[in-house]
Amino acid sequence: MVLEGDVGSGLIAIGAGLAVGLTGLGAGMAEGDVGAAAVGAITEDMSLFGKSMIFVVLPETIVIFGLVIAIISIFVM
Amino acid sequence: MFSRSGKKGNYAYTVARVKAKKSHLLGEEDYNKMLQMSVPEISRYISESGYQKEMVDLAGRLEGIDLVEHATYVNMAKVFSSILSASQGELEVMVAAYLEKWDIWNLKVILRGKSYGLNTDAIMEDLVPAGRLGTESLEKLISLDATEDILANFGRMAKVNPQALLDAYRESGGNFGAIEDYLDKYYYARLIASIDPTSRPTKLFQEYVRKEIDVKNLETILKLKAEGIYGEDVMQYIIPGGKQIDKRLAVQLVNAETIEAAASDLSQLDFYETIRDLVESDSVSIRDVVTEMKKYEIAQAKKFSHLYPLSVVPVIDFMIHKELEVRNIRTVARGIESGLDKETIKGLLVI
Repeated sequence: MVLEGDVGSGLIAIGAGLAVGLTGLGAGMAEGDVGAAAVGAITEDMSLFGKSMIFVVLPETIVIFGLVIAIISIFVM
Repeated sequence: MFSRSGKKGNYAYTVARVKAKKSHLLGEEDYNKMLQMSVPEISRYISESGYQKEMVDLAGRLEGIDLVEHATYVNMAKVFSSILSASQGELEVMVAAYLEKWDIWNLKVILRGKSYGLNTDAIMEDLVPAGRLGTESLEKLISLDATEDILANFGRMAKVNPQALLDAYRESGGNFGAIEDYLDKYYYARLIASIDPTSRPTKLFQEYVRKEIDVKNLETILKLKAEGIYGEDVMQYIIPGGKQIDKRLAVQLVNAETIEAAASDLSQLDFYETIRDLVESDSVSIRDVVTEMKKYEIAQAKKFSHLYPLSVVPVIDFMIHKELEVRNIRTVARGIESGLDKETIKGLLVI
């Protein structure tokens, strides 16, 4: 197998991957608890569905931050 | 960070559920309204406050105060069972250990009911299947005739050592009082053992249980003193494991001949301030002292309920409040039924 490109580009690619991967992991852990709590609240009161959904997707913003960092790394740096 | 295995317990889910349930509990203003009502009006009021299904189910065969009492107990049993079935891991172990008191309550009702020759239906009506043992298991226990069979089967069902139960029963010479004391002591020993006090919330829970033991022991000591019983005889009724009333203090308290004589030893207790006026008054009302101690217990539970949102603490806090709500509804209904004045009934409520 022939490796192309320089070491710098490789490190940028690794950094971008880590940014998305680690934020995804963090968001997943947060969403686990928030989702469980949301399901618990909905079980008791169905009218809480809309509010719960907002809280469940909130941790997703962390992944967006990671994604932005990854895009900046790859296309700007 | 990654200690998120199933063994830890599903705190987020269970706590969200109990928080939602807690928001529906009755508040002080509800009790104030209920104090102005008659028993049928109270029935209607609680039907609109979360007890509707039970009230409708039981309305066909019960009425008045019996309907209120049974519907509240059935509702509480249902709520506690749903919490127990929702919880997992170490949370389930702690909740089950806490709810075991209802298994023990049911066993006591069955034993007493059998000894008075009540039929199955009459006994079933007084049971509160809020613990591990469901209606089927309890029906099976009621169908047994011999006390020893009931105890042995209960031991197997509730995972209590059946031999220890039978030994306690035989040693007491068939005295139900002795077996009831044994079960109470066993319940608290098992509850304390089920709590691993390595984390701050579980430590708080364990301390709460140990304070509850203190309150129960003090209640026993005061009640017996009021009857003129003191000294070593009382020690057999003391539940071990209290936080402040250890064996040394318990001996001092039981040896004091009167409540007044025990006052100086009582002053070592944290909650003495709350009962000081009642204990030092000329005529001590044990009922008032017990109510004040209950209020102290609740104040303690309230103090830590907000501290650790993802722990066993909010779950236990809700169960304490639910139990109190049922107790308060029954107190109001019973008080109104027997014509007590409103201020007296209000004094009996623990809010």
